[in-house]
Amino acid sequence: MGTRDDLKEMARGFRWGRRPLVPKSAEPFEQPREDAVFPSDWARTDAGVAARQLILNGPMNAILHNELSLRVYGREHLEGVEGPVIFFSNHSSHLDATLIMTSLPDRWQAKTAVGAARDYFFDVWWRQAFTALVYGAFPIDRGRGGSGATDKALELLNDGWSIVVFPEGTRSADGHVQRFRHGTARLCLEAGVGAAPIAIIGGFQAMPKGRFWPKAGRLPVTVRYGEVLYPEEGETHQELTRRMSQGVAELFDEHRTTWWEALRRRERGETPSLAPPMGPDWRRKWEGSRPVPRRGPARAWE
Amino acid sequence: MPRPGFVLEVDERTPPLLVHEGESFRMQRFPVGTRVVYPPDSLPGIRDVPTAVRHALLNPVDMEPLTALLTPGMKLTIAVDDISIPLPPMVLPDIRQRILEQVIELAASKGVDDLEIIVATALHRRMTSAEIRRMVGERVFRSFWPKDLYNFDAEDPDALTHVGKTDEGEDVEISKRAAESDLVVYVNVNLVAMDGGHKSVAIGLASYKSLRHHHNVHTMLHSRSYMDPRPGKSAIADSATRMGRMLRDAGVKIFQIETTMNADTFPENLGFLNKREWEWSAFDQGLMMASKKANDMAPPRIRREFFRRIEAPYKLTGVNAGEVEAVHERTLTNLHRQQLVEVGGQSDVVIFGLPYIGPYNVNSIMNPILVHCLGLGYLFNMYRNKPLVKKGGVVIMYHPVPWEFHQIHHPSYIDFFEEVLRETTDPKTIETKFEERYAKDPWYTHLYRTSHAYHGVHPFYMWYWGAHGRDHAGDVILVGGEPKSVARLGYRTAGSLRDAIEMATDTVGPSPTMTYFHAPPIMIADVR
Amino acid sequence: MSIRALEFYRSPARYVGARTIGARAPGLVAGPLAPLRLATLKDLSPPREGWTRVKPRLSGICGSDLATIGGRSSFYFSPLVSLPFVPGHEVVGELLDDCGDLTAGTRVVISSVLGCAARGEDPMCPNCEAGRTGRCDRVTVGHLQAGLQTGFCKDTYGGWGRQMLAHRSQLFVVPDGMADDVAVLVEPFACAIHAAHRAQIAPGSSVLIVGAGTVGILTLIAVRSFTQAGHVVIAAKHRAQRAAARMAGANEVVNPEHAAKAVRRISSAIKLTPERGQDFLLGGADVSIECVGSRAGLDLALRTVKAGGRVVLSGIPAGGADLTPLWFRELELVGAYTAGVEETPAGPRHAFELAIETASSLGPVLGQMVGATYPLDRWRDAIDHAMSAGRLGTFKVAFAPQG
Repeated sequence: MGTRDDLKEMARGFRWGRRPLVPKSAEPFEQPREDAVFPSDWARTDAGVAARQLILNGPMNAILHNELSLRVYGREHLEGVEGPVIFFSNHSSHLDATLIMTSLPDRWQAKTAVGAARDYFFDVWWRQAFTALVYGAFPIDRGRGGSGATDKALELLNDGWSIVVFPEGTRSADGHVQRFRHGTARLCLEAGVGAAPIAIIGGFQAMPKGRFWPKAGRLPVTVRYGEVLYPEEGETHQELTRRMSQGVAELFDEHRTTWWEALRRRERGETPSLAPPMGPDWRRKWEGSRPVPRRGPARAWE
Repeated sequence: MPRPGFVLEVDERTPPLLVHEGESFRMQRFPVGTRVVYPPDSLPGIRDVPTAVRHALLNPVDMEPLTALLTPGMKLTIAVDDISIPLPPMVLPDIRQRILEQVIELAASKGVDDLEIIVATALHRRMTSAEIRRMVGERVFRSFWPKDLYNFDAEDPDALTHVGKTDEGEDVEISKRAAESDLVVYVNVNLVAMDGGHKSVAIGLASYKSLRHHHNVHTMLHSRSYMDPRPGKSAIADSATRMGRMLRDAGVKIFQIETTMNADTFPENLGFLNKREWEWSAFDQGLMMASKKANDMAPPRIRREFFRRIEAPYKLTGVNAGEVEAVHERTLTNLHRQQLVEVGGQSDVVIFGLPYIGPYNVNSIMNPILVHCLGLGYLFNMYRNKPLVKKGGVVIMYHPVPWEFHQIHHPSYIDFFEEVLRETTDPKTIETKFEERYAKDPWYTHLYRTSHAYHGVHPFYMWYWGAHGRDHAGDVILVGGEPKSVARLGYRTAGSLRDAIEMATDTVGPSPTMTYFHAPPIMIADVR
Repeated sequence: MSIRALEFYRSPARYVGARTIGARAPGLVAGPLAPLRLATLKDLSPPREGWTRVKPRLSGICGSDLATIGGRSSFYFSPLVSLPFVPGHEVVGELLDDCGDLTAGTRVVISSVLGCAARGEDPMCPNCEAGRTGRCDRVTVGHLQAGLQTGFCKDTYGGWGRQMLAHRSQLFVVPDGMADDVAVLVEPFACAIHAAHRAQIAPGSSVLIVGAGTVGILTLIAVRSFTQAGHVVIAAKHRAQRAAARMAGANEVVNPEHAAKAVRRISSAIKLTPERGQDFLLGGADVSIECVGSRAGLDLALRTVKAGGRVVLSGIPAGGADLTPLWFRELELVGAYTAGVEETPAGPRHAFELAIETASSLGPVLGQMVGATYPLDRWRDAIDHAMSAGRLGTFKVAFAPQG
């Protein structure tokens, strides 16, 4: 019984190097695919977390600060907040997850996982390994709608892990914030956790859809954290989604003007909506790609 | 969500499948079109076992709660299933320990003083003190061993009592202590459908005089199968029922406690043995290959020790207590939930991979007679309605069948193999010509009573156990078996599956239909 | 922007990678080397009268698709496609809009060629005029970007996506009784019927069919249904293929290594063995049809046909075959591409109509051929499976894009 023959039998029979197959008569009893092929839990062990923090706070942070003119505000909103929460932000660039993960305070960073589209980030082992390691990512089933898409998310929240999700579902093609899907609000209500809004301003200008490296010129990007929204008694998911959009809109408003003005507009219900301008396609793209004004040196009171 | 068992049809996408082969295993590529029967996924176990046990004791079926049955000054006997169950031995604490502790606690609180615990071995070997301590736990062992906790002795005339005869003239002779107690509490582990029910007391605590009425060739040939205890299907179960009812009518009060386990048969470090092959992760595949390599390279002693130490992480799926028949009905429902698989139709050839352990070689050696019993007896009879193989079909089994015997545990087997089988392999002839002599042999009786040997008649029962299988099959082929031992058993040897199939075509013709029964884990094929 | 689809995009690095190591490590072709990605594309709307959006229910994976992904297709095609495109030209789907005489919701199969009618060319080229849309000369001009078929054209998208565009001239209605997994075979079956006609098989002729995958089996069925061929030999490599070939009416089913011997026997030819290369016959079958698309397949077909005989190329040829026998034996080498209007004894009929009619009665046989379906997000599994389909006992692998 030569070992080489045995190995060949195993290699052929179990399709090493190829995609796994299920015998036809076993298909009706197939396990739901889930993490069955590429589990991501290893990245959330202590060793995984340590490695991740090393990468995020070391090279990732360095690259971000080198390639962009980056400012982060509002982290004090997280002080005293009992975890876990669902971090959500607008989504216009591949930078978004990195910006959030590197800017989170340490205790949050150690126990946060980013939700990433299963069909893109989890289909080959090396992409999955990278995403799981650097972002602690877990798969989200895109395109399948309903609540089945977020089983893993619920599991993580129940275990005390915070998660990062992008309610728009995909990156904006023109810089404007798209309609928020309801999945995030549903998740908040089901898990009974708060939602922490984050606004990323300038992401689309610095690294829009289609690019994998920031544009030259150290373009300004700001990450603003807002106050955690807690689901209210009897709130529907539509109402919560609206509150979440409002939260991000207020952060944008605050960024474009000042905190005081934004607060006053909020009281009056006049926070400018994030919806894109009416009119032909070119106008949306034009407005969306307007350069973000560069700020002077960081002021002491910001 | 545990999936049901199912029948796979091997196609080009199927990887090689795992086949047990004694103290080893192999990855076998099966021909396209072979059917493979897979057991259901393991059910989740009861999380809070102590509460479940307590609930069963206080809310029994068709009987008063145990607390009501225990009175000060009463004579209480507790009987426990012996080491032949479960297989592999379960991770500590054994479920019997947990149940015993609660029963004894209740007895103590109710002021019971006269309490004895009997290991219901019938004609099996006595358990060693270490084995008993492992099974009942430190507390129970230290409190009762050896005066009030002991192995049953079926050859001690002073310890037996003839209670009577059934309607069909079957002697019922059981432990005197049990017959004369105010209450017998039986602690059972139901691993296969044959266990439990009236079999517990009526057979577990019975003498040869009783046992010969159902442990014989006639009964075996009229049990289709003995794993199917529905009335009329298993002659042995029917006989046990008659005996059990006789005992009940004679005033022997039995509080039966029965438990069922899930299918977590192998520990984590052999986890791939519990999973369907195409669902093995890369880690499982690596583990399998590493285990196999290590196993193949190890000297026999080390290999045996490795297998001996395997403990099953079985979880409790049900515990019921009360009147024997009512409890057993519930037990069977739980058992079938875990073990029953529907199979459509018989085939020309059936294939079994024999594992390293059977009920009669725990901490011991599987000799050729036990191979025959495990394959043609137990595995063959794991069916309801019809055997997996057609009448006159071929049974192919995998086992090395070493010519090896445990000197202490199986002395009568050695002589049976050398003397009896050399002359004939026909069960009927063996029964008439040799059984009485071995059963009454004073040397074997002495070893049974004082050493740790199976009774002189026990190898005969092993032979009869496969009588139905032998009678039904047209040919039996052992793949990888040692030619001399296999020949003595009256079977044929083949070096590989391909050769075995080639040999089988002599009996069943070209292109036979084949079924591989992918056990362990244990399952019952419901053949339509 | 909401249509999920698989997009084939320009990646020279991947092309080179797939072409060079792809053959040796096929797992990589379904993995990192595939120039294919799951993307969300712009919404579609019918650009003008006569067009409709279609929702594909099943889309097959064809050998030509695998060749494209594996970087093995000829550069000849480069001006005939417009990148990036959504592959998939074997489609059974539902109409989302009313189109001409058809209402939304009708189930159709698509004849994928984008000819003059689809492109709005008026007057049409002589080929389209005659109904032979496969020979259209205008596949790079007109209303649409360059694209010989749907599934190679940027504007129309293709079957491997949730939505695509089709022109009325491409649509053929599927009868209610025909299941989706039979309907998805109508396109390759129609092509096989066309190939059988191109072969011009005289009654009683001997025929060798090289290859018994989907194309080979469907060609065998077409030859048996539409011609009066005599003895038909088919060269089949895998067990499941041989079983299907026997069911489909082949007189003899052989291994490819034994094909030359089998043809020699039936034609009493002389067999010669050159110092290098495959055996060949002086004499041989009247017609051979090459259904594999490999160099070895074409060599076999050319070498086992009698002098003056005909060789039909059913699939995209791989380069490198030795054409000496074509010259020496004065053979006719004939290409068969897609399906158009055929001349039948009952008058001109479109091959798709013939395919639908015949397929209706062959449900049981054809119904077995789709061995596996996959949703779009498991496209790597689907491609990997399709690439070893023969060895895995599968004929056709298809996408179920709506799942």
